[in-house]
Amino acid sequence: MIVPPFLQSGDTIAVVCPSGFMPREKAQTCIETLQQWGYTVRIGATLDSQSENYFSGTNEERLADLQQALDDPAVNAVLCGRGGYGLSRIIDAIDFTTFRKKPKWIIGYSDVTVLHAHLFTRYTTASLHSPMAGAFNDGGAVTEGVLSLRRALAGEPSAYTCAIHPFNRRGKASAPLVGGNLSILAHLVGTPSDIDTHGKLLFLEDVGEYLYNLDRMLRQLKRSGKLAHLAGLIIGGFTDLKDTTRPFGATAEAIVSDVVSEYDYPVCFGFPVSHSPDNVALKMGVTHTLIVSDEPTLLIE
Amino acid sequence: MNRKNFLSSLLTIGVAGPVLATPDPTRTHVTIPSPATDPLPLLVPPFLRYGDTIGITCPAGDITAKEIQPAVDLIESWGFRIKIGDTIGKKDFIFGGTDEERAADLQRMLRDPELSAILCARGGYGAVHIVDSLDFSPLKAKPKWIIGFSDITVFLSHLHTNLNLASIHSKMCNSFPDDWSKAEPVQADAILSIREALTGGKMEYTVPLHPQNRAGYAKGPLVGGNLKTIISLVGTRSDIDTEGKILFVEDTGEYLYSIDRMFWHLQRTGKLDRLAGLIVGGFKVKPDDPGEEYGHSVYDIVAERVKPYSFPVCFDFPVGHQKNNFALRVGMPHTLEVKPDSVQFFSV
Repeated sequence: MIVPPFLQSGDTIAVVCPSGFMPREKAQTCIETLQQWGYTVRIGATLDSQSENYFSGTNEERLADLQQALDDPAVNAVLCGRGGYGLSRIIDAIDFTTFRKKPKWIIGYSDVTVLHAHLFTRYTTASLHSPMAGAFNDGGAVTEGVLSLRRALAGEPSAYTCAIHPFNRRGKASAPLVGGNLSILAHLVGTPSDIDTHGKLLFLEDVGEYLYNLDRMLRQLKRSGKLAHLAGLIIGGFTDLKDTTRPFGATAEAIVSDVVSEYDYPVCFGFPVSHSPDNVALKMGVTHTLIVSDEPTLLIE
Repeated sequence: MNRKNFLSSLLTIGVAGPVLATPDPTRTHVTIPSPATDPLPLLVPPFLRYGDTIGITCPAGDITAKEIQPAVDLIESWGFRIKIGDTIGKKDFIFGGTDEERAADLQRMLRDPELSAILCARGGYGAVHIVDSLDFSPLKAKPKWIIGFSDITVFLSHLHTNLNLASIHSKMCNSFPDDWSKAEPVQADAILSIREALTGGKMEYTVPLHPQNRAGYAKGPLVGGNLKTIISLVGTRSDIDTEGKILFVEDTGEYLYSIDRMFWHLQRTGKLDRLAGLIVGGFKVKPDDPGEEYGHSVYDIVAERVKPYSFPVCFDFPVGHQKNNFALRVGMPHTLEVKPDSVQFFSV
């Protein structure tokens, strides 16, 4: 696994929006905070772009901005301003030649799961699943999630705990950490960006999904062989879940437990990775140890 | 030389190729050489005759006996017998019984020698919970028409991929009008098309013109159904190989961005690369959330995705979660001819 160099004071972080549109003011606190942390911030053309539709620019514009950030030798890390939808439309057109010679941390989550998975699978390169620019707003800059991003960028190994959950399945495993947004991981099945989860610690989170669709996506992962040989499973937040008029009849935790009931690897629930302030930085591709026991769950890099 | 190249070279010299399926006069099912890349011979269940029996079961969402009664009455009036499965009237939250109950009911019907067809009472969600636990092998010896759409796309796709069994994509019991005499003509025609499909009748489709249609001619087995369901089968043993085939898709309740993402998924998994033709049915789009306006129509989304290819494309085909949802014989060879002034689609 190629682990990009951690950042030094004065290093440059590029902020780009490869997916949905983001106005400048929504990223302002993030930019200022990164500067306070001692970094130089370079703002890409896709932040606060002229786009008038859903995307932060045309496919060509978003690709060019991301490509420039990946290729620019003066840029040490690339922070995606926000997710939304759009990376699937440009991922196959990105040229990673220069990036491979000078790997750098790619930062984000949600739709950015496309990039993380692609980097892991195609280029065995670690990346940072973490809060994005919006998380810095409204006092967010001092939350555990954003502070964990700061520590991760500086190269501090992470050690996270989360409360015992009644659905947890005990066990201990050390393996590379992979995962991200469940909808995106299902969307990548069968594509060149698809993740081989064999022997890995898989983490999942999602937002705004119907319970039945959560069930369907988990079954797609299972039926495509992605859950059978995990080292462990880390369930983050499934926030803003929706239910059908007629209730589905099972909670997200019960759905997950049912789908993985035939396996025996450790499973933890309620891990702080989600579309909410409970969202810590996780180094995709880097080996972690998961300990699920009668004590609070531990995930140690 | 790999198998695909070998077969395509056979095709080019005219040794093998799709053979027309015809209504079977001998009452044994037709086994005809498989088209293009599929190693299994196409299994076409015998078309139904007067007095044949159709089972009705609930492998996904729940439905009551009262709700299926209009369908039962009408189908009996066509001269068929009905056998009602014990999942009708069962309810386990959104499902027509527990996974075990739904699997057992469908399994009984798959084995039942008296049945010539199995009509799924409704879609909803749940087919994927039971598909891997079912033994479909009785269909090899005695093929039956499996009928349904939406969530039932799971079975139609699974059977196409694993048995090369032809099936019927059509309306289900929950779309039959309470009072047949008051049915709208298009609704009546769509329901009557199920009878035509079951009895080996000539299938006729009236396809409106759309300015974004792409002209061309395609011939190949028909595959497809509900787009979200097709996407949820990618990577699984129910996934469909679309090479050399005519793919039809429809959906309901999806956001535009999600429809775009699904078409990218089709593309990125190679499902558009060697398609013979694409048929786009109805898409009932979920309105964008405020401030998240997507700004592209389904037509634009599809037109953009198919740009790198040259196969024919037609829009607004009468299939989907809508009144004009006409029966289609999935797995059977079809021809699609899209011209500037007409769209012709035939079961051959």
